[in-house]
Amino acid sequence: MEIGFLGLGIMGKAMSVNLLKNGFKVTVWNRTLSKCNELVALGASVGETPAEVVKKCKINIAMLSDPAAALSVVFDKDGVLEQICGKCYIDMSTVDPDTSCKISEAITSKGGHFLEAPVSGSKQPAETGQLVILAAGEKALYEEAIPAFNVLGKKSFFLGQVGNGAKMKLVVNVIMGSMMNAFSEGLVLADRSGLNPHDLLDVLDLGAIANPMFRGKGPAMLQDNYSPAFPLKHQQKDMRLALALGDENAVSMPVAAAANEAFKKARSMGLEDLDFSAVFETMKILKHKS
Amino acid sequence: MALSSTFCPRIPNKFRYTPISSFPSKPLLSLSFRTFASLASDASSQADKFSGRVGFLGLGIMGAPMAQNLMKAGCDVTVWNRTKSKCDPLINLGAKYQSSPEEVAANCDVTFAMLADPESAIDVACGKNGAASGMGPGKGYVDVSTVDVSTSKLINEHIKATGALFLEAPVSGSKKPAEDGQLIFLTAGDKSLYDSVAALLDIMGKSRFYLGEVGNGAAMKLVVNMIMGSMMASFSEGILLSKKVGLDPNVLVEVVSQGAISAPMYSLKGPSMVKSLYPTAFPLKHQQKDLRLALGLAESVSQSTPIAAAANELYKVAKSYGLSDEDFSAVIEALKAKSQD
Repeated sequence: MEIGFLGLGIMGKAMSVNLLKNGFKVTVWNRTLSKCNELVALGASVGETPAEVVKKCKINIAMLSDPAAALSVVFDKDGVLEQICGKCYIDMSTVDPDTSCKISEAITSKGGHFLEAPVSGSKQPAETGQLVILAAGEKALYEEAIPAFNVLGKKSFFLGQVGNGAKMKLVVNVIMGSMMNAFSEGLVLADRSGLNPHDLLDVLDLGAIANPMFRGKGPAMLQDNYSPAFPLKHQQKDMRLALALGDENAVSMPVAAAANEAFKKARSMGLEDLDFSAVFETMKILKHKS
Repeated sequence: MALSSTFCPRIPNKFRYTPISSFPSKPLLSLSFRTFASLASDASSQADKFSGRVGFLGLGIMGAPMAQNLMKAGCDVTVWNRTKSKCDPLINLGAKYQSSPEEVAANCDVTFAMLADPESAIDVACGKNGAASGMGPGKGYVDVSTVDVSTSKLINEHIKATGALFLEAPVSGSKKPAEDGQLIFLTAGDKSLYDSVAALLDIMGKSRFYLGEVGNGAAMKLVVNMIMGSMMASFSEGILLSKKVGLDPNVLVEVVSQGAISAPMYSLKGPSMVKSLYPTAFPLKHQQKDLRLALGLAESVSQSTPIAAAANELYKVAKSYGLSDEDFSAVIEALKAKSQD
């Protein structure tokens, strides 16, 4: 199967490498073309524009950083829309439901096929093919994509109409953002109360609230290591989009709202390109700036 | 505050317990953990079994199964409970009974206490006919209730004044882990008492930590439950949001269970929360108590905790809806308008 792959950031690069290593022919594109070189070394072809890639490949996957980038790749000059007739577009970016619907409508009205398929999982699951894929849109395209999804992830869900995948992703990430804040508050309180925060990690890992995120990130956080697996700016974007969903549907979300404030503060402190666990830094003793 | 000397140092990765989807009863790795813990123990030779008389004060959701496990392991157990009838199942299993905490303490070598809150813990330990009145040199008092730091220090003072030893030992784990002997003890206080009762803790639990001076165990428990209370509130927001935007909340629970935020608590309670059912393993009123105490701890060290504060408000709302005795997962109801399903 020949697959087009648009977007070679933290996630896209790992995902396209996986496809190549599993025998797929892949044609890549990235806004900064030099990022394609590594993939070319592994056997990928390059398209100079999204339109060029879609022209060449029947099935195309996109992995962009935010709604603006996702729209740009589709609607701009030399974008996906120009060549989409009869072709398939799978957008695995995390965007708000409205953006996804907008893209879906544009694609299908030009005779293309569309599937949204945001993922749960960051850099490491992308590298090891352990993503959780939250697809929605055209069922037939979902079926066709399964061989690729099986390489990219450990489990795929088909959630129905376009928008449902985007919504599911946002709900998962709003819980995650709140959890990271709760975890950070706990680590700081342990430390300030004279406990050894490493003991807290050990205790947490044995009980009902043990989870891979605490286990994976806790030790690094205690060493001020925030090497980005999932950049804080994207987490805050997801919190904002989820709160907007809550807003539209009159759903009470006070904890998520408080968590979002912490991520905003982290951004104002210049931490937005670090891993989202860097929200921990906002809770440590800070000197008051007058 | 003095740095706590951890009895159980950081576990190397090979000893780490790796949770799988459902909680196994006695995973092999936890045996390694306990072996590791007792290997690191001090000079005092530790008998494999505790051969003394054990008292148990408080036979609620937690105390009853804990005392039962001690009985099943062959311990000599004497019980007391404020409502006497709760003692009957234990008496039927062969436990002895005394009519006050004082008499239990007087007739036992080590007395455990599992009470619902700081007020009862103080009353049982230091009140009229309280345990302290029956304590003396050679005896020990192990308070496994969850209380604030100053309550624990107060009880410690009263017990130590009699010449007895004191250990605070709140637990992580609710009803089922108590029944299965899978509790996690977060102890602090007299190290020699800790060493003496280690075998008893191992009957009731799967792991134990010694965290140093009195107050450290209480603080650790409050920190853990602060995180837990916030997590449950976050999960509730997610479930409700998923319902309101047209997703199947059962699918959300499944998606969560597949990813980085998969926690046993979510998998265990998610399905019933989706059905608006909250069978009580950990009463909501106790979770709110713990959050309140944790916020107090945070205030005492000048730490801002907006997430925990927001979560606490939800538990307060849930209590006002009459959900105090439901499982703490009933906090999701606080997000709904009162008349909704």
